[in-house]
Amino acid sequence: MDMVLIPLFAGIGVAVGLYARAVPQGGRSWWGFAAATVALALAARLAGHGWAGTLLAAAAELAAAGMIWSQSPAAARKYLLAIGLGILATSAALALTGFGEIRPATPLDRLAVALLMIGMALKLGLVPVYFWLPAVARSCSAMTTALIIAVVDVGTFCELLALRPIAPWMFEPYAAVWGALAVASLLGGALLALAQNELKPMLAFSSIDDMGYLLLGLAAGGAEGLAGAWFGILGHALGKLVLFGAVGAAEWSLGRPVTLQTRGLSSRLPVAGAAFMLGALGFIGIPPTLGFAGHWRLYQTGLELGGPALVAAMAAASAMALLCYVRAIHRTWLGPMGSHEARALPRLAAAVLLVLALVPVAFGLAPDRLRPASEIHVAAIRTGSVP
Amino acid sequence: MHPTTLPILLLLGGFAVQILLARVLTPVGKGVLATAATLAAFAASLALVPGSMDGAVAEAALLAPWDAGFTIGLRVDGLSVLFMVMGTGIGAAILLYSVRYMEHEAQGTTRFYATMLVFIAGLLVLAGAADMLGAYVAWEVIGLCSYTLVGFWYRQPAAADGARKVLVITHLAGYGFLIGLVLVHSRAGSLAWTDPAVADAFTSGVAALFIVAAMAKSVMFPLHTWIPEAMNAPTPVSALLHSACYVKAGVYLIARMYVVGDGRWLAAMGTPLLAVGCVTILVGVIFALAQTDLKRLLAFHTVSQLGYIVVALALGSELGLAAALFYCLSHALFKGTLFLCAGAVQHATGTRDLRELGGLAASMPGTARVWIVAAASIAGVPLTNGFVAKWLVFGAALDKGLLAVVLVGWIGSILTAFSFLKATVNAFYGAPSAALAGRTIHDAPPSMMVGMGAMAALCLVFGLAPQLLMLPIVAPAVRSLGFGWSVEMGWLGILTSQGTLAVTVGAGAVLVSGLLGLAVYRLAQAPAGGLVSVYSGGEPLPAGDRPGAVDFAGMAEHAFHPVYSLDPDPLYRTLWHGLTRIAGRARVLARATLEDRPSLAIGLAAAALAAGVWLV
Repeated sequence: MDMVLIPLFAGIGVAVGLYARAVPQGGRSWWGFAAATVALALAARLAGHGWAGTLLAAAAELAAAGMIWSQSPAAARKYLLAIGLGILATSAALALTGFGEIRPATPLDRLAVALLMIGMALKLGLVPVYFWLPAVARSCSAMTTALIIAVVDVGTFCELLALRPIAPWMFEPYAAVWGALAVASLLGGALLALAQNELKPMLAFSSIDDMGYLLLGLAAGGAEGLAGAWFGILGHALGKLVLFGAVGAAEWSLGRPVTLQTRGLSSRLPVAGAAFMLGALGFIGIPPTLGFAGHWRLYQTGLELGGPALVAAMAAASAMALLCYVRAIHRTWLGPMGSHEARALPRLAAAVLLVLALVPVAFGLAPDRLRPASEIHVAAIRTGSVP
Repeated sequence: MHPTTLPILLLLGGFAVQILLARVLTPVGKGVLATAATLAAFAASLALVPGSMDGAVAEAALLAPWDAGFTIGLRVDGLSVLFMVMGTGIGAAILLYSVRYMEHEAQGTTRFYATMLVFIAGLLVLAGAADMLGAYVAWEVIGLCSYTLVGFWYRQPAAADGARKVLVITHLAGYGFLIGLVLVHSRAGSLAWTDPAVADAFTSGVAALFIVAAMAKSVMFPLHTWIPEAMNAPTPVSALLHSACYVKAGVYLIARMYVVGDGRWLAAMGTPLLAVGCVTILVGVIFALAQTDLKRLLAFHTVSQLGYIVVALALGSELGLAAALFYCLSHALFKGTLFLCAGAVQHATGTRDLRELGGLAASMPGTARVWIVAAASIAGVPLTNGFVAKWLVFGAALDKGLLAVVLVGWIGSILTAFSFLKATVNAFYGAPSAALAGRTIHDAPPSMMVGMGAMAALCLVFGLAPQLLMLPIVAPAVRSLGFGWSVEMGWLGILTSQGTLAVTVGAGAVLVSGLLGLAVYRLAQAPAGGLVSVYSGGEPLPAGDRPGAVDFAGMAEHAFHPVYSLDPDPLYRTLWHGLTRIAGRARVLARATLEDRPSLAIGLAAAALAAGVWLV
């Protein structure tokens, strides 16, 4: 049983539920689809690596479409196109390889690798097939996007992590292609995040940037790479949840989207402001947050995989992320309050945000507390015994 | 509890109590608590001095285990003790001053004191870190604390903007440190400062990356531009930032690099570092001359003074390191004092604009005296620790035959003296400005006076008897960096072990300083309560007139006009605009092709990935 992701998903489900009680995220159908998404993702983790797990994960991905559809059918169509094709491509790749156990003859092996790459790129929203993620972020409530990123995408990435040791032939000979996909995502995501005016799409692009980092760890493999990806994905899930949560709180308070023209929200929403800042610091990878524990390993992995040039690219992406988040913090949260009216945040939502913001810092101060779980998981990944 | 970790744990304990008692304590109570915790940490740091004098190196784990294979551990040697004593000692004086300074603050005092304690603790962890990863974590913690403290009044745009600039410049440059240690770890498999494998992996390229990070923290040109913008913070923050806990982090890093491979990196990086230091001395002081805001003026002097310290560090000799470390401690004392005086002036008058000040010596005599001692010290007037520090730097440069460095330092000193003459006369002498007319101005309250007065007194004590600082604190630090200790220092900082050239030039410098001081005194005609005339830098002014801050600023801007074009901020703005333009164009292109035409994006991706897979 997955002793990390299952509690993580369950915790996220509870946190989102409590938050959504205080700050409404959608109607009755939203609640139903959100609960189904989390439950199916949990079930997929319980089922493990195999057809049952894959089908349950696909069901979770499709249930998430229901959340989106209830708020924006146009965004849901884009999401369904990407996820539908992604499911088809990855399922075909898994079928061709017997879930990675069999290496088919050339050119079927190459076809399987290409299908896996395109399928995962579509599902994770990597550059250049990220089209659904900003569309969903723009038109749906904050926690809808947060759930998709923190539960659905994280589950998908963990499927890929599970496949890594079972079928190393799908990764090691093609490390350059996986690496190119990762670099395109981390640089493209960071650059496009910098160009956004609205905060939710900005967070979506920053998520693409972060996924690029994690993919690098996966492509490189090895203990450091996989541990980096593992710590990174946990930080990614918690960080994105708190960031979207803070922006969602601000949207609810203002009654309109939060943009770089919004001013001084911390005066009215100090907890949301502090949560956004802590989340951003974790995302940038500043110690002592959990983000640093992941980034530090991923830098080492980047050096092994692509030498100083790749490390320089990673640093450039991190620098752009820093500029992007610092600009958002200072234009939106700090400074004098703008002329807009803003409601105070309900205590329940503030408490949830505070806890979510402090957890990555607590684990960042003592990442070793996560190490037993991480080591078991990474060892299991490396030996191919992931459930 | 290991005595090595005690100073850090006392500070963190103080932090925890601040948080726990936040709702119970008054602002004054929080200040007293923070001061007590820091004083206790100071005492615990002083207790480490005898061990460091004996050459002992104490090791202890702080966070064990922290992360796979890594422990945030301490390895406290002479250099660590120097920075620990400096951080806690100056921190305690500044926090004592804060008790009254912050008592009327409506909100945020818990945040203020808690962050100040973590800030000081961060410096202690940095100074004592046994390896580079621990040092990097502490480095970034210090950065976050300074960001939080500079942005203390975050509702004010100027404060928020200043905080942003601090974070962006220092953190971006800090990637040099991170990349450097990643490179070292990949080559050596270790990050311990003293590991011989690390020494082999510590190439000049890695050293350059570390130095870039240190340059931003220690406000070296051209990465210094964040510091004047960080002045919109409470004065204790500025004082701590400038004197002990932030700009000195870069100094520490460069000094610590000497333990790696016996400082082999200096062969390649020594000359560039010297050049950067010299340029920084001049740029800092010339920009300071043009300032009319008291805190901005002090901020640019920090830039210049840090230039002296880095120059001394870059000399790579025993005397150079002694000079750098003595200067580091001296600067902490006189710059901390100057900032606290500036804060007292602002606290009393409501302004720090030199154009709106004047005649404060009559209403704030205590503050004026303390200011004059510290101003004399930074200008390098004999009998102060500032003189001894400059004397040592010049002596070390002369030992190396670097007359150009001495010349730069000498010009910097003269300009510093002019700058402080301007500030002193405009703030404390002459008639009060129209802006202050009719206002009742009180001197700083006793607790503030004790905080800044204690540091000013030490400026004189260590000016008269520098050996009190040299032997127990500086000498063990220099020895811990792999050097011997043959510096023999007498009263007033006279180097009794140095050759005739250094002594002669030094004596000449003293004589010239004395004559200049006498000339200025004569021109000023012993300032009493009324108007004074000072050397105006040019033609005599009409009778009854006096040069103001604006006159000096105008003269400086005129005289040094070409230098002001060396402000790197326009370049940074151009880079930022360039980046946002590129990002904007990328967004338009991406939206038109990838986001609005998903089938095109999917087709492109499928083709590219398939081609990649087939070609590999």
